[in-house]
Parts: sequence; structure tokens; C-alpha cells
Amino acid sequence: MTLFAALFSHYRRHPLQLVALALMILVATTLWSGVRQLTEQARTSLTQSEQVIAGRQQVVREDGVAVTVGDFATLRRAGLCVMPWLEVPRDGDVGLVIGVDPLSAACFGDEGNVFGDAGYRIEGEPFVDISEAARLAREFPGTERAPTLVLIAAGAVKAETLPAGYRLSAFSKGPDTGELGESFLLNLDALGVLVLLITALLLRSVYRLGIVQRRDSFALLHRFGVPPAQIDRWLVLELLVLAVLCVVPGLWLGSWLAGLLGQGFGRSLQGLFDAPLYATSGQWLAPALTMMAVVLAACLADFLVPRTRLVVARRGQGKLAGGLLLAGLALALLGPSLIWVFAAVAIVFAGAGLLTPALISRVADRAGVASPDPLRRWRYRELAVMARQLALPVVALQFTLAMVLAIQALVTTFEDTFDRWLGQRLEAELYVPVPEGRSADAAARWLTSQPELQTGGAWHRVVRGRGSVSMSGTAPAPVDLFALSPVSSLVDGWDLLASADDPWGILAREEGVLVNEQLARRLGVGVGDRLELDVAGAWLDLPIAGVYADYGRPAGEVLISAGLLPAHFQAAFESFSITPGALSRAELISGLEAVWQVSELAVRDNEEIRSLATGVFDQTFLLTRAITVLTLALAALALLIMGWVFFTGRAWYFRLLAAWGLSRREVAAQLTRLSVGLTASVALLALPLGIWLTWVLVHRINPLAFGWSLPMAVYPGFWVELIGLSLLIGLGIALLMGRQLRAATVLPVSANSLAGGER
Amino acid sequence: MSQVVLEARELSKTFASGAERIAVFSGLSVELAEGQSLALVGRSGSGKSTLLNVFCGLERPDTGVLALLGERFDYREPETAGQAEKRWARLRRRRIGVVFQEANLMPALSLLDNVRLRARLAQQPLDQCQAWLERLGIGELAERYPDQVSGGQRQRAALAMVFAMNPDLILADEPTGSLDRRTAEEVTAELFRLQAQTGVALILATHDPELAEQCGMTLDLAHGAPAGQAR
Ligand SMILES: Nc1ncnc2c1ncn2[C@@H]1O[C@H](COP(=O)(O)OP(=O)(O)O)[C@@H](O)[C@H]1O
Ligand SMILES: [Mg+2]
Repeated sequence: MTLFAALFSHYRRHPLQLVALALMILVATTLWSGVRQLTEQARTSLTQSEQVIAGRQQVVREDGVAVTVGDFATLRRAGLCVMPWLEVPRDGDVGLVIGVDPLSAACFGDEGNVFGDAGYRIEGEPFVDISEAARLAREFPGTERAPTLVLIAAGAVKAETLPAGYRLSAFSKGPDTGELGESFLLNLDALGVLVLLITALLLRSVYRLGIVQRRDSFALLHRFGVPPAQIDRWLVLELLVLAVLCVVPGLWLGSWLAGLLGQGFGRSLQGLFDAPLYATSGQWLAPALTMMAVVLAACLADFLVPRTRLVVARRGQGKLAGGLLLAGLALALLGPSLIWVFAAVAIVFAGAGLLTPALISRVADRAGVASPDPLRRWRYRELAVMARQLALPVVALQFTLAMVLAIQALVTTFEDTFDRWLGQRLEAELYVPVPEGRSADAAARWLTSQPELQTGGAWHRVVRGRGSVSMSGTAPAPVDLFALSPVSSLVDGWDLLASADDPWGILAREEGVLVNEQLARRLGVGVGDRLELDVAGAWLDLPIAGVYADYGRPAGEVLISAGLLPAHFQAAFESFSITPGALSRAELISGLEAVWQVSELAVRDNEEIRSLATGVFDQTFLLTRAITVLTLALAALALLIMGWVFFTGRAWYFRLLAAWGLSRREVAAQLTRLSVGLTASVALLALPLGIWLTWVLVHRINPLAFGWSLPMAVYPGFWVELIGLSLLIGLGIALLMGRQLRAATVLPVSANSLAGGER
Repeated sequence: MSQVVLEARELSKTFASGAERIAVFSGLSVELAEGQSLALVGRSGSGKSTLLNVFCGLERPDTGVLALLGERFDYREPETAGQAEKRWARLRRRRIGVVFQEANLMPALSLLDNVRLRARLAQQPLDQCQAWLERLGIGELAERYPDQVSGGQRQRAALAMVFAMNPDLILADEPTGSLDRRTAEEVTAELFRLQAQTGVALILATHDPELAEQCGMTLDLAHGAPAGQAR
């Protein structure tokens, strides 16, 4: 028998352990690489939006018709340097590809380098040759976003040189999101790291279990003359082979997971940052190597750092844990940036991880000493041993429960808040965009003259555009403008985060403005502070009368009365929100059609918009939810396996109870009380950690990452569910073990071969 | 004539070994009265442990009748397993003390707590437990844990546990099998001394002929001997 066969025979006897180990590596790789792939893709997309698109001009037709290849030809014949840019959704896959024409890019000179340099080669995704993009567009028509052709102008193209019928316009993909996009991705990174950490803990616990059981055979091999170093080398090799075998399919599954979640993710990215999710070619080597390193480090940490651990383990562990907790809590409170807050979370988790098993075992030991009933004392002491022996999976379960709890609270709060917020925003029944080139004033006059609209109805006109804002002394920063007139009953039901007396009256009297939470946070202003506002060259200097919540978008926004807009203000977009009241919907539509002289008016039902928006946000959190649920399942499974193994080692002592006259049912009951006691303590200790994590997410990470915060809410109903789940895990362990007790009725004569005599 | 504690008639036990069944013992009959001691002897694998397990209900014989401590188990008739199990559990809890070769103690409890646990299950007063440890010469080790004392001291504690439950029958399965000769002799001496004092019946499995000689009777299972022979 070769040495390898001798070493591997352990897994031949315990195939379940090998399967568990392999499964852990596989699932850990899948989860982490799935998250990572999405994050990478989003990060690349954001960078590309910034580098390639930002500040660029495009040529558009003055009549508003979309440009075609014909227009491209006309412009090129006129000697202008323009390049076609065609964004096509990839069918069945995540992200957009961009068709560009390398030949026409040539005239961009150095400017064109952005397509070639910075890692975005024209031949690599998302950039493909325009003919390829056109082929994709033809082959997969009717995807949710129609491909649009844009003609990008080189810097040399000036408005005067354009042929008649064309003008230049900014090729922008929305507001400058800057750091916020990064923060969002950092959040995802953190989630990925947390998942990796938890799975590494689980991996380690399963692996170490095998090593402990194999120690005897190692000693035997050593006695047969095999040097320990050689055994170690074989163990590393064995693990390496296993890691390769599991990491590779894990990466494949990860990209599949990313694909599965990518659609929703892309949409939420668009909703949050107005940045499209571009296709990227998947990387393999870096994540594979990272994952292998994590697997090796998690499993072989003892080989790498010999003998230092044990010293820390006993002495001063409680003090260390307490110190870490305090430092982490303080840092979370005071950390100036997202990185610091994440570091704080890591420190607090490390502290909690050290503290939890020690705390459970100490409390159980104390309770044991305090209880006069010997049987109860035995149970407490046994619980203490379990908490120490199963420290790793116990901590992993605690972390996962805390994470699930926090993310559930965040998501639910967000959904509730967002739903209410959206309800207030979409108070009107109908939403009517003003058609291109028609007068909103005329429509407003017509609406004012409708008496039926006064009874039970309400309407207002919305003008959207851009301005810039500055506090006294600061440089002006661009801001979105949201102008309203009249200030109707449709808005005065908004929940304001802060407000002066009668904010809507102040707004209507043009004596003040309202700002969204993002802007208030960014500028550090509140109610009563004065804002200097540049609206198309006209300067306004008004106090802030209120701050409103504005979810889902990082851009700063100022709400003013439309009466303050100068006559030459260029609106980006105009619309009406109307609740018809006594006026019938048909009358309203035909009336507006007559005013605007259009044959078919685009009227949208706000209910529809609402369900659409809610749908998008549901998808936003699909990823987070899916990952947390998967992690929870993994943690539960790991504790189940570990608990089962622990009880197998201790089975003799449960049979001893039977020999002392406990019936099988009574032994099983003791077993159940123990395992359920353990998982219940874990769940109880996960609660404060989870609540704290919720607080960090809501009050620290969210404002830093998104610019707005949510009300902190807790959901005790969900706690009960989680505790219930933990009890189920405990019951599962007891059930598995109970079966084992039933299977073998013979008491082993010698306990020599039994491990599990720990106390 | 003192009261009969255990009476076995025509007990047989086989184990499945692959396709065939191997007989461990068959047609075995034995009787034991109050205060008597019986040694089960025979090579390793001759069925001593199996028979002890049958005597305390942890193992079911294939057939035969077993009457002990006022309970009757007729294995010739199919009995509802649950009911027999309950009666056996009651006997083991209150009246039959079992001592194994080792690992008789819960590792997470001190020696005293182990004795207290056993006494509590047998519904015996807990205040005698320390005294039992002292009678076995390990009173000062009461607060130690099993892994903090020697093998001999552990077996003394195991005996303290058994006597603290005030049993009518003690089943000891090679109780000194993993001890060195001198310690084994000391522990056995304690066992017989206390057995004589309390008048409890004792069945002792051993492969040591010297030890067997100290018992009043010997049952040789070495060659699957069918019947007990009293000396
Ligand atoms: N659960 C079992 N299944 C199959 N065979 C068993 C089982 N328990 C014991 N045996 C067999 O029964 C015989 C008697 O075992 P045992 O009572 O332990 O002997 P002893 O205690 O005298 O050494 C042995 O041959 C042993 O292999
Ligand atoms: Mg035996």
C-alpha cells in the first residue's frame, strides 16, 4: 500500500467527511466567485461609463428623430470625426456589449486610446466590432432594451462645423455618481468577504475534524519510519488536489449564479446609478488562485503558524475578545469612512467569534455548578464541552444568523419605506409627460380652467432640469432641479425628514426650497440654512424649508416652485401629475390632446409605474437574499455534520446513560435538550450581533454608501423564525444521533479506541 | 436458603456473521442467590460480555427464560419490545449496577458528581456519596475529574457509583482488565469486601483464573459450555 493510499483510507472509511469537505469548497467558491463576478462587472462598467462616456458629445438630429447609419455616412462625408456606438443587450446573458467601429475610431487620434488602452481593447468585451453588434441586435430582437445607435463626436467637432439639421448634445449616462458607486460595490465586496469568512470557518472545522481522527494513523505511519514532513507534504498535496477538483466547478457554478442574478442586478445598478452593466469577459485564474489560497490557509493554518495558537487559546481569550469588541464598537461609531466601518465590523465579529464559545461554555459551567440536581449538572457540563469542541461551526452559525437577521431587517425596512415613499411620490392617478415641442403652459392653463378638476381632483406640473448649488463660499456643484407648480395637495402628504413650519406654504410662496436627503448630507445643511442656487444664470438665495427622502438614486436634488424658473430655462423634461376627480379620464385625455394637437397622448397609470418600480427593487435585493439564505443553509449543514460527529465520538457516554437505566426515549430526550440547548444559545447570541449589524448597516454603512439612510426597524417576528430554525437544526442533530444510538445496542467493552472523552 | 436473585433457563444467543449465524452460547442455564458471586470465565470472544448484557437487558437473547429481581422475561414468546425495554430500564436504574472495564464515568463531571448522578438516578440519598468515595479510599479525590486521576482510582470511583445506588445485583465486566496486577488486586479486594458487607449478588466476567477463584461459583464459557457448574 502506498503512503497516499494509507492516508486516503480514512476517507474511504468516512466518505461523508470527504463529501462534506468537497461540498464546502464547492459552495464557498460558488458563492464568493458569484458575488465577485458581479462586483467586478459593475466596477468595470462604472469605470467605463466614467472614462469613455463622461464629458463626451454626441451628434443628434435637430428634429429629434433617432440617428441612423445614413446620418453617420452624411457626417463622415462632411469630413467630421464621428464614431458609431451601438449598445446591444446580450441575449440570455448579463450586460450590454458595445459595437464600435475601429476604423472610424482612428480619426479620434489620442482620444481614441480610451478604447484601446486602459485594458478595454476593442476586440475584448464589452467592445466588439460594430458589425458583430449589429448581428447580435438582428439575431436577438425584442430584448427589453432596444439597441440604440449613438454617434460620438471627437473633441475637434464643433457645433459650427455641423451640417444643418444636426446639433451636439452631451453623451451622458446620468449624474456623476463618483464615490457612491464605489461605495455600493464596496458593500458587495464586504458581503463577499463575509461569505468567504464564514465558509472558511466551516471548511476549517470539517477539515480539522478529519485530521484529529487521523492523528492515530499518522502516529502509526511515523512509527513505521515515515518522516512527519513527508506526511505533511502528502496532506498538503491531498488538499491541493481536492481544492482544484472543487474550485474549478465552483467557479463555473459561480458564473452561472452571477448570470442568474445578473439581470436583476443590472437593473438595480441602472436604477441606482444610471450606469448600464456592460458585459465583461470572465476571469478565471485570479479567483481560482485566491480560492485555493483560502482553502489552504483555512485548513492548514496550524501547519503554517505552529504552536502559537494554543497559547492564545486559553489565556486571556476573554480579555482579548472583550478588547476587540470594545474597539470595534467604538470604531463603528466613530469611523470616518466606509473602510473604517467595515474594519469595525470585522473586529467586532472577530471579538464575538472568540467570545461566543467561551461565553456559552462558561455560563453552562456556572449553571452546572449552581444546580443541585446531578443530572442537570451533567447536562450543563456536557453543553459546555460541546460549545468548546464545536467552537468553529458554532461561531459560523452565529455569524450567519446575525448576517441573515441584519440583511432581512435592512431589506424589509427598505421595502416598507420605499413602498410608502413611492406611494407618496405617485399620489396622483395619472402621469402625463409633455410631448416633445408642445407647450406645458398651454396645458396648465387648460387644466386651471376645468371646474370638475377642482372637485376631488388635483394636479401639478413638474419641470426637471439641472442647476448648480453652492453654500456661501463653496464652489458651485451641479444639482438636479425638481420644479413644481402649483404646490397641490398631491405633495403635502410627503413624509419629511426635517421641516420648518408649513414647508409647502413656504415653497408655494417661493420663500424657500426643499432639498433631498442626499444633498443635505453631502452639503451638511439642514432646515433654515440658506442655499445659493444657479438656475440657468439666475441666482436664487433661499432658506431650506424641509428635507425629503429620495431613495434609489444618489444625485442631489432641489425642489423649488416652478414660478422661480427663468423664462429661458431649458427643461430636460416636463410632465403633469393629475388626479382627475370629477373630470373623467377620457375627457381629460381628449382635452389635453386638443390643447397639444397630438393624436395619441402617452398617459401612464401611476399604479403601473409603482409596481414596475417595486419589481425593480425586489430584484435589487434578490442577490443579497439568495446569498444569505445559501450561507445559512451551509452553516446549518456544517453544524449538523459537526454535531453528528461530536456525538458519535461521545456515543459511549450516552449508552452509559442507558446502562444506568435511562430508557432509550429518555436518552434521546437528554440528547435533544443538549443539541437544542446549544443551537438555541447560538441563536440568542446571534440576536444582539445581528441587531448591531442592522444598526451599522442602517446608520453607518448606508448613509456612507448611498447618501441616504433608513429608519432603523427591528422585526421580532423574524427573530422568532430564526430561533425556530436554530431549534430545528438542534433537533436535526439529535435525530441523527438518536438513530445511531438505536442502531448499535452493544456496549463496546473497551473505550480505548474512543475519542470524545473531553471535558 | 436465601432468595434467588437471578435464574436463567435455556438462554441462547447467536450473532449474524455474514450469511451464517454464529452461536455465542446456547441452552445456558444458571442460578444465583442473594450474596452469592459468580465468575464468568473464558477466552476473549467467548461471550462473557454478551451474557452480562443479556443479564441487564442491553442485549436480547434469541430464546430462553430469564427471571431476576422479581421480573420475568420469557424470550420464547414475542413480547412487545417497548414494554420489556421499560422494565429493563427500571431494573438497571434502581437495582442492577453495571461496571465496565473502563469509561464508567462521565468525563465532564467530578468523581463526586458522577457518584451523585448515579445515586440520583437510583433515587438513593445524595448525602452518602462522599462517604462511598471514602470507603473506597478516594475521598480526597472527590472534586477531581476522571482524567485527573489514575485508572485504578477511576475504577474505585466506578465501584463507589455502583454501591451508592444500593443495588441487588452487580454486573462487572472485566472491571480490572485494564489495570496493572497490583492495582487490580487492590480494587478487586475492595469489590469483594464491599460485596460481603452489603450482601449484594455479583456476576464478574474475567479471563483471570485467580480472580475467578475468589467467586463462589464459576461459569466457563470457554468452549461454549452449556451449563453452569457450581463449585
Ligand atoms: N454486535 C455484535 N455483532 C456480531 N457479533 C458480535 C456482536 N457482539 C459480540 N459479537 C461476537 O460475539 C462473540 C462474543 O463476544 P463477547 O461477548 O464480547 O466476548 P467476551 O466478552 O467474552 O470477550 C464474539 O465472537 C464477538 O465477535
Ligand atoms: Mg468482553
